[in-house]
Amino acid sequence: MYSWIRVSLFLAWRAIRRGGKVGTLLNILIIAMVFTNMILLSAIMTGAVNLFHEQTIDYVTSDIIIKPGEDERTIFQTNDLLEKVNRVPGVSRASARYALGATLNHKSESVSIPITAFNPRDEVKVTKIHQEIIEGDFLSPGDDGILLGFFVAGYEDQSMDFFESLGGVRVGDPVEVMYANGYQKEYRVKGLFSTKSYQADYMAFISWEEMDTVLGRENTESTQILVRVIPGEDPATVKTRLLEFGVQERVETWEEAITKVVADSLETFAIINRISVAVSLIIAVVVIGIVFTIKTINQQRQIGVLKAIGIDQNAIIGSYVAQVLFIWIFGTILGMILLNLIMIYFTAHPLEFPDGDVIPAFELITMLENAGMLAVASAIAGYVPAWRIVRENTLTSMRG
Amino acid sequence: MITTTDLYKTYQMGNVAVHALNGVSVSIKEGEFVGISGASGSGKSTLLHMIGLLDRPTSGGISISGLDVIALSDQEKTIFRLERLGFVFQEYALVHELDAFENIALPMMARGETDERISDRVSEMLASVGLQERGKHLPKELSGGEQQRVAIARALVNDPDILLADEPCANLDSTNSKAVLDLIREINQESNQTVLMISHEDWHQQYFDRVIRLKDGEVVEE
Repeated sequence: MYSWIRVSLFLAWRAIRRGGKVGTLLNILIIAMVFTNMILLSAIMTGAVNLFHEQTIDYVTSDIIIKPGEDERTIFQTNDLLEKVNRVPGVSRASARYALGATLNHKSESVSIPITAFNPRDEVKVTKIHQEIIEGDFLSPGDDGILLGFFVAGYEDQSMDFFESLGGVRVGDPVEVMYANGYQKEYRVKGLFSTKSYQADYMAFISWEEMDTVLGRENTESTQILVRVIPGEDPATVKTRLLEFGVQERVETWEEAITKVVADSLETFAIINRISVAVSLIIAVVVIGIVFTIKTINQQRQIGVLKAIGIDQNAIIGSYVAQVLFIWIFGTILGMILLNLIMIYFTAHPLEFPDGDVIPAFELITMLENAGMLAVASAIAGYVPAWRIVRENTLTSMRG
Repeated sequence: MITTTDLYKTYQMGNVAVHALNGVSVSIKEGEFVGISGASGSGKSTLLHMIGLLDRPTSGGISISGLDVIALSDQEKTIFRLERLGFVFQEYALVHELDAFENIALPMMARGETDERISDRVSEMLASVGLQERGKHLPKELSGGEQQRVAIARALVNDPDILLADEPCANLDSTNSKAVLDLIREINQESNQTVLMISHEDWHQQYFDRVIRLKDGEVVEE
């Protein structure tokens, strides 16, 4: 039963070893390039998605975000809730935020965004915005200055801005803020930060105590509470614990908190990647198919002779499929070597995207999946031309 | 042992029907060395291909050792060719990527023989065709006569009942042709294998027990 497999492998290996070296090397190179192409785009996209996830966790939501319950605008008794959350196993620290709509003015420029208050001592333990100060300083407790994201401060040359900005505000410049509750105040810019996350960099922060002044009362409410979990803890598990500890508000992990627009963008990335993979596979099938069609036509007479002397058709077809699979093995190994070299290069020189520096993320499972798909595509590309020639009449084949 | 009954083969060449065989009935006994001769287009290759199960007749019957071989399926014909027939072709028809040893070993491998048995038998065959020192050589490193001897060894390695040779000396000089014919005659006499061989050359006829002569698809002398 297995003798034809033995014959297939025997013929294939001899053909690889003793056949045309240039053609074989070309095929190996094709497979390596196709494999590299399949993985590289996926790796860049994965790297971009990973960057977005890291930015979301580090600058926007932390690991878990607690939002007001349904039909509520704020979380009440924030201090009590903070104490409760900080006691939950797995929680490293929680930080409350209170956002109030405002219009910021500088000279003739204005920007309408919420101003967010936080306690700087808590905030530095749940986000990494304090590590991204590019000018001036981070807020300190009781600070009366304002901290602006770089997209809010903007450029003097506004053609360089992504969004409406204050036209190039810098540290020490005055910014007039008109709050939604009618309170108005001129702040000095304490610091500017740039995380490269468009969500974070279009925010402005003041201290919790300054918000008390704005509201005219000691504020006990918050609009969200960010929670950092202890390293190694799974946010979903900690979320479950928060609920078990009686947190009544809406608790979401960072993944759940990503807006639908963002989730759709990620899905779009995935679709583009799938199209790219499909196109790569089609290219592989067509190119290898053409090469093997030419090869089988050139060897039509030999195929006829093999049939004539009693070699099973499956063995003959199998020898061509095995040749393609040998080529696939060497091509995939070469592709993996190339990808490793590319990874080493991009780790030292990340790709510069508007959202940050992207390091392509090569995932083993993706590599194995793509290698598997390429194996199937290659096998088809080897099978079809051989099958077409083998099914021809033996004498016709022998006459070439 | 081989009997063809009223064998017809008609090829359609566009709108023209070409009658390659017109009712050929021959009988070949076991162990006979039979030559098939005739002018070009007389039907000798067609007859050999029919007996070798490489083509189907338009009508008529072929029986080998009492078996109606036309009724066999394609898969059964492949096995039949592997186990009971040996072929030698005009152009040697060796696999270019296999050396002499491997070319001879291929039919045994297809039968599922062990490596040890293959090694013994192929070495024996190489010795019997006088190529024991040339086993590791690729076809392109062998002369025409040597390649044809490898092809003969490959045809005989499975010890077939019938050896079918389609002008095996057509591309050889007279010295090599004589060596090949001597070899086939020797095998025929020692192993009592039936041999059917197409030949144009008159001097080859001294090797044959008898000659079947064809003309326009009909047997004119047997």
